[in-house]
Amino acid sequence: MTLPVFWRQFLVWWQQAACIGLVMVELPELNAQQTNAPGSAPARDDGAAAYKKLSLEDLMNLDVTSVAKTPQPYDRAPAAIQVITGEDIERSGASSIPEALRLADNLEVAQVNAHDWAISARGFNANLGNKLLVLMDGRTVYTPLYGGVEWNVQDYLLEDIDRIEVISGPGGTLWGANAVNGVINITTKSAADTQGLYMEAGGGSELQDFTGVRYGGTLASNVYFRVYAKYFDRNSEIFADGNTASDSWGMGQGGFRVDSEASPQNHLTLQGDFYSQGEDDGSTGHEKTSGGNVLGRWSHTFSGDSDMSLQLYYDRTYLSVPFAASPAAPPYYTGFPAAPLVDELDTYDLNFQHHFQLGERNNVVWGLGYRFTHEVDEDLSVVRFSPPVLDQNLYSGFVQDEIKLHEKLFLTLGAKLEHNDFTGFELEPSARLQLNVTDKQMFWAAASRAVRTPSRYDEDLEVVTGLVNPPHPYQFPTAFLEGSPNFVSETVIAYELGYRAQLGAKASASISTFYNDYHDLRSVSATPTNATYTFPYPDIFQNNLEGDTYGFEASANYQILDGWRLHGGYDLLKEDIHVKPGSVDVDGALNETADPQQQFSLRSSVDLLRNVELDTMFRWVDKLTMDSSPTGGPIAGTVPSYCEMDARLGWRVNKHLELSLVGQNLLHSHHVEYGFPNSSKEAIERSVYGKISYHW
Amino acid sequence: MFERFPFGRCFCLFCIWLVLSPCEARAQTKEYQVKAAFLLNFAQFVEWPHAAFSGRDVPLCIGVLGDDPFGPALEQILNGESIGNHKLTIRRAKRIEELTSCQIVFVCSSEHNRIQEILAKLDFHPVVTVSEVADFAKQGGTINFYREQNKVRFEISTASALKSGVKISSQLLRLGKIVEPSPNHK
Repeated sequence: MTLPVFWRQFLVWWQQAACIGLVMVELPELNAQQTNAPGSAPARDDGAAAYKKLSLEDLMNLDVTSVAKTPQPYDRAPAAIQVITGEDIERSGASSIPEALRLADNLEVAQVNAHDWAISARGFNANLGNKLLVLMDGRTVYTPLYGGVEWNVQDYLLEDIDRIEVISGPGGTLWGANAVNGVINITTKSAADTQGLYMEAGGGSELQDFTGVRYGGTLASNVYFRVYAKYFDRNSEIFADGNTASDSWGMGQGGFRVDSEASPQNHLTLQGDFYSQGEDDGSTGHEKTSGGNVLGRWSHTFSGDSDMSLQLYYDRTYLSVPFAASPAAPPYYTGFPAAPLVDELDTYDLNFQHHFQLGERNNVVWGLGYRFTHEVDEDLSVVRFSPPVLDQNLYSGFVQDEIKLHEKLFLTLGAKLEHNDFTGFELEPSARLQLNVTDKQMFWAAASRAVRTPSRYDEDLEVVTGLVNPPHPYQFPTAFLEGSPNFVSETVIAYELGYRAQLGAKASASISTFYNDYHDLRSVSATPTNATYTFPYPDIFQNNLEGDTYGFEASANYQILDGWRLHGGYDLLKEDIHVKPGSVDVDGALNETADPQQQFSLRSSVDLLRNVELDTMFRWVDKLTMDSSPTGGPIAGTVPSYCEMDARLGWRVNKHLELSLVGQNLLHSHHVEYGFPNSSKEAIERSVYGKISYHW
Repeated sequence: MFERFPFGRCFCLFCIWLVLSPCEARAQTKEYQVKAAFLLNFAQFVEWPHAAFSGRDVPLCIGVLGDDPFGPALEQILNGESIGNHKLTIRRAKRIEELTSCQIVFVCSSEHNRIQEILAKLDFHPVVTVSEVADFAKQGGTINFYREQNKVRFEISTASALKSGVKISSQLLRLGKIVEPSPNHK
């Protein structure tokens, strides 16, 4: 049986690449079928012969039961994908998921204060950014309250994270609404891979103290479990004037995971987490968040090229944001008591996927999904949601076919149809073309449509004025800001072109370019005034912005010596978002884009001795323009560009014990990364911490 | 809960139908293709004494004892391969006596009750014994496969290797889990 030449060469290259330590990972089960790197899978009967070209190391890394029946290095996927491995996270010294995301060149990651982060891909890193879809082990974690992610409660024992995949560009065809500009997919290790005892503890200047413990064992033959718990306290950042920002916080989290591999055809996973977090919110009070989830997944393999998975999860979050009291001023102003905005959200989600080979040329994956959310928002203060209780149903179905046009040319066509309660049906189609020029070079191109469906913020928000008893003949507005029941989905049509290459045995490079055409982006319209209605309120959310963005993301790896690896990344982003002709936006189209035009990063990983590692990470982020608030009018402030450096020194004392020393943001005593610049803008301080970890 | 979500119930029924519909079960194929590739690697990373081969160009024989789980995978992987001057050949047998001249013997799970008997027949033969039987290496065999997080791993006994006079490369020792024969199994 003769293998196609490109595949044979590709395997040799892959083997070499693995040997020199380039980061090569198999796509996880879910994404393997979703991104479906074509060209990497030899024809079924050739499959066996392909394995004999693999090294022992490669063989040991093959998942023999996964849906990806043949080795699929991620960088064969026709998308702008970057993968952060568990080892990358460890070597970076990251102490949280947002910090780890700094390792992805195709993301904007900015720390707002001690507990909040602004994270986005390809722009739109706005206040309450809403164009990124984030999943943890298949569980969607953005909140339907405003379509964004509460990064401070997306946590895990980092030791047990297997990988984080970051895809910039639309992913709506597979992942659905909100995957407008990118998808982040966080995958934890199987319980089978986290057997035994692990403990970590440490502390330092900003990350004051932390501790984590995990124990993994077996429940029966081929049934593995782990339980874990972690806790940390983080120190306050400071304001520009040097005063404390009073934003210290702490969080505890625990959870479990059970993986059953009772038979090679069936893999069952049951996992759950719960957490509780509290943070100081300046002088306003104490913000509390807690929640939990439980998820079950059944993956079944019918044959080498047919498999399915069925997943059901329940997720609950509780969020309480304090609002300060506002004293009454009779007779015109009622005032408000000090009261929190409370958001309670229950999510039930059922998801099914089936993947099979159709004939010689078609690789089909399709799926169905249903999500039910029950959300309760109660508030006695100024920010309210109407109705306070909302049940929502989301139905979805998708199909995607990867068609082999030629040995080297693959076309992937797909579409997702979703039905949500706000806007009804939404269609998210995409077409991807992949050309494997040689075994070491690949071009890909894609055109896709994705949508950002309305959140409660867009539709149901009500920021009340408390104004009453207008003197005759005047009228007072009841609200400063209101959502609009007519708000429609924001859409993007994205065109992408990418190239990836292995340059000799020691270097690899990739570049992804994009042109995105946006329509119906969120704008704010004022209410017309007249002689008796003198306040221009309420401001109302509309879809009056449009525009385009373009740019590229480039990254390269170079293995200088056996134990010395360099990684560089550069992003360019140009944005032109403007008001539709004939419309207005109170914010002058400034409120959606708080993005650096350029970003640059350079990382060096050195194995100083056999058991001593030194990692340094340098980053430069361009200045960004922030609007003062969603309603404050176009008042732009500038966050200056900055450069910063992190470093980690790790010493593996023996096979059980590891010591490490981590410095973050070492170049300045403090710097601002994100937020409207004024005297109450938090600056991020230099941080140093030490860590002891112990495996048994 | 499903009363609340009629859609979900249909979904479930549908999935059950899907699973129960007849399907060709070839799930184990990949596992044995990978294991066959391991055998090829073992052949490469073991050095046999000259006495193990009756001549310079005689084939290197991989024996399969018992009920072969590989299907066509062994032939797919091993056919046409050679280690040095030794072309690889595959020999299947039900009795160990027919395989004593092989360099590698894969002891199938069907033989799990006769491990000691089989190993005794191979004592001091330059044969690398490989099996999927749990703790095979601890029972006196050379290498046994095991599964960890869906991945194929192997345990290797240096004592058994010494006893059979073969030299195992450091690369193999580094990747495998070293185990020593346990007295309980003697």
